[in-house]
Amino acid sequence: MAINGTRGYRPGLVDLATGQISREIFVNDDIYAEEQERVFARSWLFVGHESQIPNPGDFFVSRMGEESVILCRDRAGAVHVFLNSCRHRGMKVCRYDDGNTTIFTCPYHGWSYGTDGALVGVPYFREAYHSELDKTKWGLVEVAQMCCYKGTVWANWDAAAPPFIEYLGEFRRFLDLILDGWDGREGQAELLGGVQKWLIPCNWKFPAENFSGDSYHNISHRSVDLVGAGPSGRSRRDMSELMASRKLHVAIPDRGHQTITYVMPKDHVPQAAYQNSPEVAEYFRHCEEERRRRPSANSRLIGAPGEIFPNLALLPRQPRTLAVWHPKSAHQTEVWRFFFVDRDAPQSVKNFLRDYYIRYSGPAGMTEQDDMENWNYAHAASCGTIARRYPYTYEMGLGHAVEDYEFEGLRMPGRVIDLTAAQASEEPMRNLYGRWAQFMEADSWDELMSWRRNDLNSLGREAVAAK
Amino acid sequence: MSDPINIRDLGLGMKVVLISGAEAEIVGNPNDGVWLFARYLSSPGDPALVGQEEMIFAQDVVETRS
Repeated sequence: MAINGTRGYRPGLVDLATGQISREIFVNDDIYAEEQERVFARSWLFVGHESQIPNPGDFFVSRMGEESVILCRDRAGAVHVFLNSCRHRGMKVCRYDDGNTTIFTCPYHGWSYGTDGALVGVPYFREAYHSELDKTKWGLVEVAQMCCYKGTVWANWDAAAPPFIEYLGEFRRFLDLILDGWDGREGQAELLGGVQKWLIPCNWKFPAENFSGDSYHNISHRSVDLVGAGPSGRSRRDMSELMASRKLHVAIPDRGHQTITYVMPKDHVPQAAYQNSPEVAEYFRHCEEERRRRPSANSRLIGAPGEIFPNLALLPRQPRTLAVWHPKSAHQTEVWRFFFVDRDAPQSVKNFLRDYYIRYSGPAGMTEQDDMENWNYAHAASCGTIARRYPYTYEMGLGHAVEDYEFEGLRMPGRVIDLTAAQASEEPMRNLYGRWAQFMEADSWDELMSWRRNDLNSLGREAVAAK
Repeated sequence: MSDPINIRDLGLGMKVVLISGAEAEIVGNPNDGVWLFARYLSSPGDPALVGQEEMIFAQDVVETRS
């Protein structure tokens, strides 16, 4: 057997034609280092939620890839995201998880920065620097782009990246499923409690792939289903509505976002849910009624696990949560899980949901523990010299996705596989890794925005037709 | 040489004497142990500073006056 002398990424490791992907992309340290530059330094990344910083001076220390960043609201009320690193010698200027401050002070030499990032304090500025240092050039490094969307805060280091809404493309409606109120009102989500953070010994792409829409691994959660950890005491979720729907894999090919989603029939009748608490059941029954009074493209959708490229997982319904898979090394990921509730929900409903959410997800969550066991052992068993020679297969459903999928008048974007009969496919994973490979191979954002070229081409065709 | 002063203990309105001989009144304390916000009351070496508010470095504070 030939010795593999190539260390880093190379085309062919992700082979979408055959549906085979090399284990190297998960366990190779050189590829990991490359993806920090090519993926995480160029993608839109979830940083936090505005409800974490309601007041001037509030801050929340977050992460973007391997970088520590500060999400903060300055004294004038504007939101910023800064690299948490002093411009003098690089020390973290903030070592708290969150809080309120007037300045961020580096403990090493004492340089300090305002909440707007400006360098405001330099020890011995007159004496040692002779007032010659141009403070305006040495403020905290701020992200190139930031976007607040329905309370969520996103940031990007690359000024050439498209705006966040364009980056989302038609996946926006699936993100809305978690950020809008269950009664259909826009942007009603509120962060519930703190952020759960923990380390897992696997590459970040294992959970990213899983949350892209792996319904094939449901057998892993059989014990949780048998226990009846769900909010009605049966299974791990309320399933009666889902049984009446179309279950789909939806993948947005030019963006790298993908999800499972359930499409309800046009005339569907709400099913009882949250039966462990009459009060909570009544709250959601009322919300369902309200949702029907506000018809939108999403009123017939029920959200399920999905992934916004590269490392943000969403679960819009049960439990309602976002997770970020922060890369720490090729072999370690730091998971941050954010839980959400409707802002106007009664406290008793929030309490019930909190208990259900943490019973399901997070380091102590029964379902997430099942997942972690799979990811962690799969990673460990893929690191060896021999194991690396054998690719994983992602052939399931290859060639069976359709475009322009429609169910009873509701059109779905992207490439769709109807799972109602098929049960499972690996279209979402192919979509994730296809996009990942594009990022690894493209030298600029110009090469990553195929939709703009398509738009220009169609405009050109229309112009010719008009002549 | 006097003992180091823990500037986190200093409240608004207190006066500090700086290594330069200047005197300043505290108008803000971020409680980071490194900086104070203060207004100069006197400044023999640079009279132009009197009345100005500046950030004062902890190591410049040599004495407190109530």
